[in-house]
Amino acid sequence: MASKLKRRSFLQLAAGAAAGMSAPFTRARAATTDAATIGWPNDVPSWDPNQRFTPDAQPIFKAVFDQPLDQDPQLKLIPHLIKSWSLAPDALSMAVELRDDVTFHNGDKMTTEDFRYTFFERIKAGLKLDTANSWKKVDDIVIESPVKATMKFNAPAPTAPQWMAFLGSYMVPKKYIESGGLDNFLKNPVGTGPYKLAEYELNSRIVLERYDGYWGPKPKIAHVTIEIIKDPSARVAAIQSGQTDFTINVPVREAERFQKEPGLSAELDPITRVILIQMRADLAFADRNVRLAAHHAIDKAALSKAFYAGAAVPLSVLATPGTPGYLTDFSFKYDPALAKALLAKSNFSTSNPVKIGFATTNGQFPSDYDIARAIVQMWKQVGIEADLQVIEYAKYFELNRGNKLPETTLYSWDNATGDPEIFSGYQLNPKMPFSPWKDEDIGNRVLALFGVADYDKRIAGYRDLERYAVENGATVPLLQSVVTIVRKKNLAYTKYANGWVLPQTLRWS
Amino acid sequence: MTAAVLKLIARRLIAAIPILLIVSALLFCILRLLPVDPAAMSLPPNATIAEIEDKRREMGLDKPLPQQYLIWLSDALHGDFGRSIALRRDAGELVAATLPATIQLAACAMAIAAILGLGGGLILFRLRGMLFEPVADLASIVLLSIPEFLWGLILLFVFGVLLQWLPFTGQVSPGLPLPHITGFLLLDSLLAGRLDVFWSACQHLILPAVALGLAFSPTIMRVLRSSLFDVYLEDYIQQARLRGLSERHILLSHALKNASLPTLTLAGVQFGILFSGTLLVEVIYSYPGMGNLMVDAVRNADLPLIQAIGLTYCIVVLLINTAVDSLYVVLNPKLRVR
Repeated sequence: MASKLKRRSFLQLAAGAAAGMSAPFTRARAATTDAATIGWPNDVPSWDPNQRFTPDAQPIFKAVFDQPLDQDPQLKLIPHLIKSWSLAPDALSMAVELRDDVTFHNGDKMTTEDFRYTFFERIKAGLKLDTANSWKKVDDIVIESPVKATMKFNAPAPTAPQWMAFLGSYMVPKKYIESGGLDNFLKNPVGTGPYKLAEYELNSRIVLERYDGYWGPKPKIAHVTIEIIKDPSARVAAIQSGQTDFTINVPVREAERFQKEPGLSAELDPITRVILIQMRADLAFADRNVRLAAHHAIDKAALSKAFYAGAAVPLSVLATPGTPGYLTDFSFKYDPALAKALLAKSNFSTSNPVKIGFATTNGQFPSDYDIARAIVQMWKQVGIEADLQVIEYAKYFELNRGNKLPETTLYSWDNATGDPEIFSGYQLNPKMPFSPWKDEDIGNRVLALFGVADYDKRIAGYRDLERYAVENGATVPLLQSVVTIVRKKNLAYTKYANGWVLPQTLRWS
Repeated sequence: MTAAVLKLIARRLIAAIPILLIVSALLFCILRLLPVDPAAMSLPPNATIAEIEDKRREMGLDKPLPQQYLIWLSDALHGDFGRSIALRRDAGELVAATLPATIQLAACAMAIAAILGLGGGLILFRLRGMLFEPVADLASIVLLSIPEFLWGLILLFVFGVLLQWLPFTGQVSPGLPLPHITGFLLLDSLLAGRLDVFWSACQHLILPAVALGLAFSPTIMRVLRSSLFDVYLEDYIQQARLRGLSERHILLSHALKNASLPTLTLAGVQFGILFSGTLLVEVIYSYPGMGNLMVDAVRNADLPLIQAIGLTYCIVVLLINTAVDSLYVVLNPKLRVR
């Protein structure tokens, strides 16, 4: 009898275990309208938001920290922690007035002391901060009151307001860091943002809890869990299985498939990221005819259709539609016949092709290698024979430093501000590490623009430069890149032109 | 027996010193010869070429390679493995934070590989000469040909997406706390008395551990079967039969013990390979281990971190081999006499 009971108990236990296994696994936090889980491709590099410029981490930083200025969804610069600002006509100083109702997550009030600490004292202290580069022109920040201060620059800083809303420019708490130490801040970061960091596990999970003392509009969702899922296939699986509610950067074909899935919504949103071909001004490309022929031979619309479901906008200049530097009245046409004619002027043809090198990454941005292969075929049709070389992104800098990049390099350039300085200014500046184009004419034009203080004059200058650079074959802008977004249909978000997905804008309907 | 084991461990530890020096020097030189620029990777995008050059000097990248290595070695001997370029944190601290998760995953995967390998090996052996032998043989070859990352994707798709039986991201479900005591989550959750966390951690561990275990079990299966074939040619097996012992008894009580020795050696080697196989599986399952960290380090040309992780892999493999050899001494009396 005892034996039978034992066997029965065992069978019951086994059946229970089997039933438990066959049921979907339980989640610790049941799906509610007060919580959402996001599948994100990258972790933050550190919880010191001034430390590293990582574009993918900016939306996460913007949830926990605040920037002095912000951008609206159309990327217009708007007040944030700074209520008002005034850049001097010579761009050598900028007066700011901060809000007086902002508190850090530990309850400390934010003042100009924190502003000075973030944008001057930390940098002068020699901390290894990426913001040290963006704010190296800051000579001092003069505090006039707890809410008023003036930044003093040692050289014109015409893009200072733009940088106040760009990479790494987040307000950090002076008192908290100085009293508790940097290590404590890195482990228990405190910002003024709409969310507090509740839990963090390196390369795995970030849990955010709504900060009830937030000065601005309170987020609709109280708990946001960010699962760090680096593998695109795993992000696809996670959203499909319901383990996440929102994800980004899935392969384009998967986004197209999800558009047909009930309960899910998938989008391909053009953002302020440009896919371009960087050019050299020498070797086989010393000849302007060859450079322009290489540009005329590329069917950008076909590339967009083939690799981005037609959502990537073909570009003629190094700026995206809607940004200040974009030219609506200029287009560089796809014309293989003209490309052949230009090559013929330089004695090249399909039977006597000009030989060039073409570097590309494979996997650095979506479809990079495939785009490069397609371009190689387009060039072949007109008489350009390109030797395609795959390079690692990390190798790019070393090759460029040693002037060893080939005539052309496929590249992707992200600029959340949309400001033309950070598009063509950086891409064509011979003193910066992203420009294989070393040419005095265009180089001097760029360097001169870096010192123009007047906003309108500066923008007009860049618009002229962009046209000039393309007409002279100094760059080949290809496409406005897209970000793929997949979400549950009833989870809405605010779409930003630079691709930001801010947790504080998520809301269930 | 204890003396023999201790002697072996001491010998191995002494031998490990030159091995580690050679590995660290090789790693250092290979990494420095790669055509990447760690100085450029460590600066923000708005840095000028002149600033990158300054950074190169600051990082000592302009010094001769042997001098750079000696500086690194001296620092490493003082416990300083440098700072991660991308994360700006102490490389040793990052390795220490992620290593327990990887050891936990690798140990669970090895247990699964051992169970499947032993069971499969015995089944393969039992099927010898039977109708199903070629089928079983083919099945083991198919298993052998599927790498761990592919198992990872297959299991994720079947059990995570189609059936939705198991979670496949992270270590525990959202909302559950992560007790930090030893770094080994299964152990920590028990020490903290959190059975819910323990259960969730087990659920999260199943798919990555099975993916790794499945990939490494076929080799154990096939070596065990092959060893059993050899053992069955020995006289004592024939004598056991003459004594009237059942085939089952002969297999499990006599042949398996001797056949398991070469299998154990192989398992030791396999564990080292399995440990490095965690790289892609950890990325697929968003598992916060050292493999995940290594993938990022390689992507960012984070040389100090790659160096620290590479050296850690080497130390772990050396320790595993020492442990396996010690076990070998325990199981094989002939080695003790020698």
